[in-house]
Amino acid sequence: MTAYIDDPVFWALVAGIAAAVALAISSHRRTRRAKQEKELLSERNDILEQRFAESVEEARSRAEHGTKTALKTAMRTLQGLANEQQIAISGLQRKYGDQRILQDLLDIDHMNSQFGRRAQSIAVLCEGWLGRHRSVASVYDVVRSAKGRVRHFTRVEIHSQASFAVISQAVEPVALALAELLDNATSYSAPETTIDINIRAVPKGVCIVIDDAGVGMNEEEKTRAAELLNNPVSGVTGLGNPPQFGFAVMGVLAARYGFTVSVDTASPYGGVRAVVLLPQELLTSMPEPQPVGPAAVAQTAPAPAPLPGGAVPDPLAPSAAAHMPRAVPHSGPRPVPDPPGAVPAARNDAGHDAGYGEERREPRATTRGGLPKRRRRTPMTIVGQNGQDHEAPAHRSNEETASIMGAFQRGTRTGRTAETDPEGREFR
Amino acid sequence: MTTDGTGHESVDLVRPYVITNGQELPKGDEFELVTLVTAADGGARRAQLDPERRALVELCCGGYLSVAEIAGHIGLPIGVIRVLLSDLAGNGQIVTRNPVPTAQLTDIQVLQEVLDGLQTRFG
Repeated sequence: MTAYIDDPVFWALVAGIAAAVALAISSHRRTRRAKQEKELLSERNDILEQRFAESVEEARSRAEHGTKTALKTAMRTLQGLANEQQIAISGLQRKYGDQRILQDLLDIDHMNSQFGRRAQSIAVLCEGWLGRHRSVASVYDVVRSAKGRVRHFTRVEIHSQASFAVISQAVEPVALALAELLDNATSYSAPETTIDINIRAVPKGVCIVIDDAGVGMNEEEKTRAAELLNNPVSGVTGLGNPPQFGFAVMGVLAARYGFTVSVDTASPYGGVRAVVLLPQELLTSMPEPQPVGPAAVAQTAPAPAPLPGGAVPDPLAPSAAAHMPRAVPHSGPRPVPDPPGAVPAARNDAGHDAGYGEERREPRATTRGGLPKRRRRTPMTIVGQNGQDHEAPAHRSNEETASIMGAFQRGTRTGRTAETDPEGREFR
Repeated sequence: MTTDGTGHESVDLVRPYVITNGQELPKGDEFELVTLVTAADGGARRAQLDPERRALVELCCGGYLSVAEIAGHIGLPIGVIRVLLSDLAGNGQIVTRNPVPTAQLTDIQVLQEVLDGLQTRFG
């Protein structure tokens, strides 16, 4: 062993080992430090990432909220304008109902309805106002209303009428959801095909089945549709590009009002079969009974009776029917003679209206089956006014009559004596 | 808003162009304001009509009514009523009777000639 002490190689080896150990130790330390640093950094990174995500989320929700508020406000204005315009158009349609321009007015009305629906859809996604309040309406009318809100509405055929009505709060949402379904159905099917709607009463409520003969949906589209229908999204950011409002709107409405929309079955015509199920809670009985024909007919029958003979000029028949009932109400002070038939229902219907509206609507309601409407309107005015007019003169005393006659005579005399200039102005 | 026998809101909810189903308004003058309309027999088929058409037929089944009166009762524009009437007439659910034609007025030229003749003779 000592033999190696003088050997320089030995010393070199020792020095080399020492250096290697030192190197190993320092590298180990460095690695450890690096590890620690790495851990520290990754911790910091996590914190940063979390904060970043939080702020992004916050910014997103703030932007979403801002967008929603802005859109909601804008849509409210547009919806209000569309409604106003609809009322104006209705007025024009009545005013010019007899003229050629009516065709254009109907077209404009249609465009206005589509415009209103678009605004409503966006408003729904922004948790906004859905529109004006409606009263109870039959399922058939709700479906027809939806039909009127899509562009190619003439292709939509409604095959059955159900004797159910939709409660007032649900009329507009159901109509809007149906309109979105019909919009999809008409957009994704050939222009010459029809869209069939069937209304069926089922134990759970009423089903509205919409069949189109279009291209149908692939699995991916079906999944996405089901996703939107079952987990309604709020806001307009997740609608894709180009944005697809339809299913998102239906999903929000269905969740909010408690009906269900499903589009996962295929239509026998090859397209999509959409089924809207309105539960019992959204349904009620029909707002008023079906028109009572026989009662009204029985009353109007005497007037038109001579007609088949042909001797009586025809135009007299309706007016005769109108005048005949006038004699009846004088028998008593009761303002409404209560013809049998639809009257009670009609009055209930008009009950919430006040003043002029009620006065106008009551006679109208009576006329459902025919002419007796007028019988109700006339006594209100005739008994009140004419009766007084006829009686008043009888109560005048002789002195009053004399003074009235005297005044008349004086006036006549003054008029005769007064001279007038060529233009009729009086001068003395 | 409207005067409608089938319910106040239904017309508001269901727009007139839906009731006509987008049909063109009749061009001819087959349904003048004073044309008289009455319901034909066949009450069974009425059940299949939509509420407005049914109301119209039921309105007319008591006798003859003029187009103007029908429009007033149903509360729809007259043009729309004409579409419904032409539909129903096509189905044979209503019968129309044209108004008594107004007397043919003598040509004004003839009158003028007579006047001229009288004036040259006596004037």
